[in-house]
Amino acid sequence: MTELRFPREVYVGEAVDEAVKTWSRFAEFELSETDDHWVVTVTPKHEAAARQIIGEFGNFVLGLTIDRGGVS
Amino acid sequence: MSTDNQTSFTDIPEAVVSVAATDRSVSMVVDSELYPLQAVYGASYIFIDRCYVFIDRPEPGKYRVTLTAKESVEEAEALRQLVGEYANELLSCAWRHQVTQDNRVAIETVTVQAIAGAMGEPSLDDLADFDFTDEALDDPLGIAQSWEDKHGRKSPAEKEQAKAKVPEGEAAEATEAASTEEASA
Repeated sequence: MTELRFPREVYVGEAVDEAVKTWSRFAEFELSETDDHWVVTVTPKHEAAARQIIGEFGNFVLGLTIDRGGVS
Repeated sequence: MSTDNQTSFTDIPEAVVSVAATDRSVSMVVDSELYPLQAVYGASYIFIDRCYVFIDRPEPGKYRVTLTAKESVEEAEALRQLVGEYANELLSCAWRHQVTQDNRVAIETVTVQAIAGAMGEPSLDDLADFDFTDEALDDPLGIAQSWEDKHGRKSPAEKEQAKAKVPEGEAAEATEAASTEEASA
């Protein structure tokens, strides 16, 4: 289980939601939020590929954020 | 970023970019006054095929970018190269962002003209709907009038009309003045 904290000033919330939907096949996700962060707890379904899943998930969120023009 | 694992990359200026390196990842703290978020986005996007990129906000006015190599990295030199390339890309993106901001009006103008040109000539329907009235042309000073219209010789019919418009009293004075001139001559 890994907790990823995406700062609201950098990452778009919709991008996090969309990435969670896309990656739900590969990991269990729990979403929460603080004043400054979108908090995603990731539990990969395949422990051997955990590093790759978490890393690619982070890239996916960043890519979607950039595609949406970033945080305005 | 803790200072304990401060990098040995002494050739990278820490005032602008400070680097912490572990066995497989590097993280840089970037000054957001020098590098806007859009530039950080741009540089990061270029690296997501080679690295796992995570952007954090450790304190106001700073971004922390963590690059984790997807493939295993054996030498510290490879990480140093990664940081250097990222820093170069960041600078490039920041400069392009600045140029775009400076030339935004010109870019938008040229783009609009290009799109308007690409739309081609107007169709017959467009011409039929076009408003050809001169209402939009307001010319109170008569600048658009030709010289002939404004100062040219009037036709006999126009002269008659002009005489008819002169009031009777003024007409009598004009006749009297004309007779006086004739007498003096």
